[in-house]
Amino acid sequence: MTKRTRLLSVLAAAALTLSAAIPAMAAAKPTITMSGSTSVAPLVSLLAKKYLSVCGHCVNFKLLQGGSDIGVADAAAGRVTIGNSSRDPKPSDPGGLVFTKIARDAVCIVTNTANPLPTIDQAGVQAIFGGGVRTWSSVPGATQRGTIDIYVRTPGSGTQDAFQRIFMGATRVFGGASPKTSNGLIQQLVTSDEAGIGYVSLYFTNGLHAVPYQGVPCTLRNAKSGQYGGSRNFYMVTRGAPKGAAKAWIKWITHTSTAASIVGTDWVPLH
Amino acid sequence: MTKAAPAEGQPGDRTDQRTELVLGALSAAVLLLIAFMIVFVFTKAWPSFSHNGLAWFGGGGNVDEQLTNIFNSPADPGDYVYTLHAWPLLYSTALITGGAVLIGTALSLLSAMFIVEFAPPWLAKVLQPVIRLLAAVPSVIYGLIALLVLVPFVGNDLISGDEKESVQFVIQLDGTGLIVGVLVLTVMISPIMIAIVTDALRSVPRGWTEGAAALGVNRFRALRTVGLRAARPAIVAAAVLATARALGEAIMLSMVSGSHAFAPNPLDGVTFFFEPALTFAAAIVDHADELSVTPSGQTIYAFAAVLLISSAFLSFAGWVARRSMRKYTLAAR
Repeated sequence: MTKRTRLLSVLAAAALTLSAAIPAMAAAKPTITMSGSTSVAPLVSLLAKKYLSVCGHCVNFKLLQGGSDIGVADAAAGRVTIGNSSRDPKPSDPGGLVFTKIARDAVCIVTNTANPLPTIDQAGVQAIFGGGVRTWSSVPGATQRGTIDIYVRTPGSGTQDAFQRIFMGATRVFGGASPKTSNGLIQQLVTSDEAGIGYVSLYFTNGLHAVPYQGVPCTLRNAKSGQYGGSRNFYMVTRGAPKGAAKAWIKWITHTSTAASIVGTDWVPLH
Repeated sequence: MTKAAPAEGQPGDRTDQRTELVLGALSAAVLLLIAFMIVFVFTKAWPSFSHNGLAWFGGGGNVDEQLTNIFNSPADPGDYVYTLHAWPLLYSTALITGGAVLIGTALSLLSAMFIVEFAPPWLAKVLQPVIRLLAAVPSVIYGLIALLVLVPFVGNDLISGDEKESVQFVIQLDGTGLIVGVLVLTVMISPIMIAIVTDALRSVPRGWTEGAAALGVNRFRALRTVGLRAARPAIVAAAVLATARALGEAIMLSMVSGSHAFAPNPLDGVTFFFEPALTFAAAIVDHADELSVTPSGQTIYAFAAVLLISSAFLSFAGWVARRSMRKYTLAAR
């Protein structure tokens, strides 16, 4: 018993010292926590890696995901330093939030490679995704026949928000379509369904046919030049203007050429 | 601590009392935690139920559109939208769970009978650990395999163009749907049932089945009429456990069952099996990213509340069923 007690007290003392030491070590470095959009996450993690090596590990990063709405809500509640959002500010968002634009991204309409639709315009997108046209034979240029399978995203997704705003306008998405939770899931389903059509972030178009929108192919080059009409913004959301380490980090993203060259690999830099 | 007790020796040692206190406090804490969870979920869910009343459980309208409207509610709490008629979700949950448990029970009984009575010993020795291993495979793996293999097969090879066309203005048949969900769920819940039923059949006193055999009954009939009958409480327990797992299965169903809140209609003939369905658990996964919007969050908690109630009912029904079967067995609890 006494041996045990001694061992326990030694363990407890060790734990105490450790727990005191860890915050002391961490206090030397500020921590930036981020949550939100799954579309923004791959970009931010690339940027964070570079930022750490450039500034000599001056901060700690914590990156969580969850969807644009989670990011906005977390930032508003003060649960994270920065919320990542792939959608624009909404009137229903909590007050006092600052949206800082960090990049742009193209949303591509995609079909199966067996059905390379030559082009589509806004009316065409609205007819197909709104449920007005349900067979491929009524879609000009389609090689597929039969019923169209529409794949859309759940309402909390930033990609869904961008698609609704840019492509659909006031037209509602067909109520019989099946809503999916991620870019990757839509990518997979359209890859295996010749009658499928959907929309994903440019980063997720591998293995799919990206349909030119209004005659402009959905490519990084066209998104950068501004010719492609289906582009949306990536934001970092803070409660009030960014301060301290977060300010330095966001400024590095928006103002340095190093950051811009990382963004330029798969997304559209601001400058 | 308890190991040290004998060294101290005498009866009435305080260690036992202390152990009792600590363990008692732990189990009380678990009970408290459960009570807290139930209260929490129901408090969160209440606005969704109170705004809709009993119509919450009724049909009408498109659930996906209703959920979108709830998500896009105005910022003013007075204008929150709550309208939801969740019948398709309720019906899909019952249909998918019920279908999987029915098929699964039949399959498991037959496999368990084979393992216990008919399989050569070496095969039984291999089968049992394999089945236990299958029971432990995470559901997302089943979901992935189904998504990559089964869904394209059903969508491209089983569903005909005419079937798709016949319902094209209401829903789309793209391969994800009822049949894939039920089949994969059956595969998921069967191993645990087989394991439980096998153990139960093995524990039936040898003399009982031998007695039947002595009366001239063949092996299959002896097992069916005596062994299975004696193992009934265990079969019910297995079915309850399997139903609970099926009821709570979310990720896999969210991937393969269509994710569109639709009530598959048996009157549609063959098409019925391909129609999309969405269970409560899958709906929670699909719409988890909307939690931050207050009314959406409350609606999602309402799904959780319904699931909680269903599982409570399930345990209760299982208990009643086992009680009523006591008279058939020696050692039923």
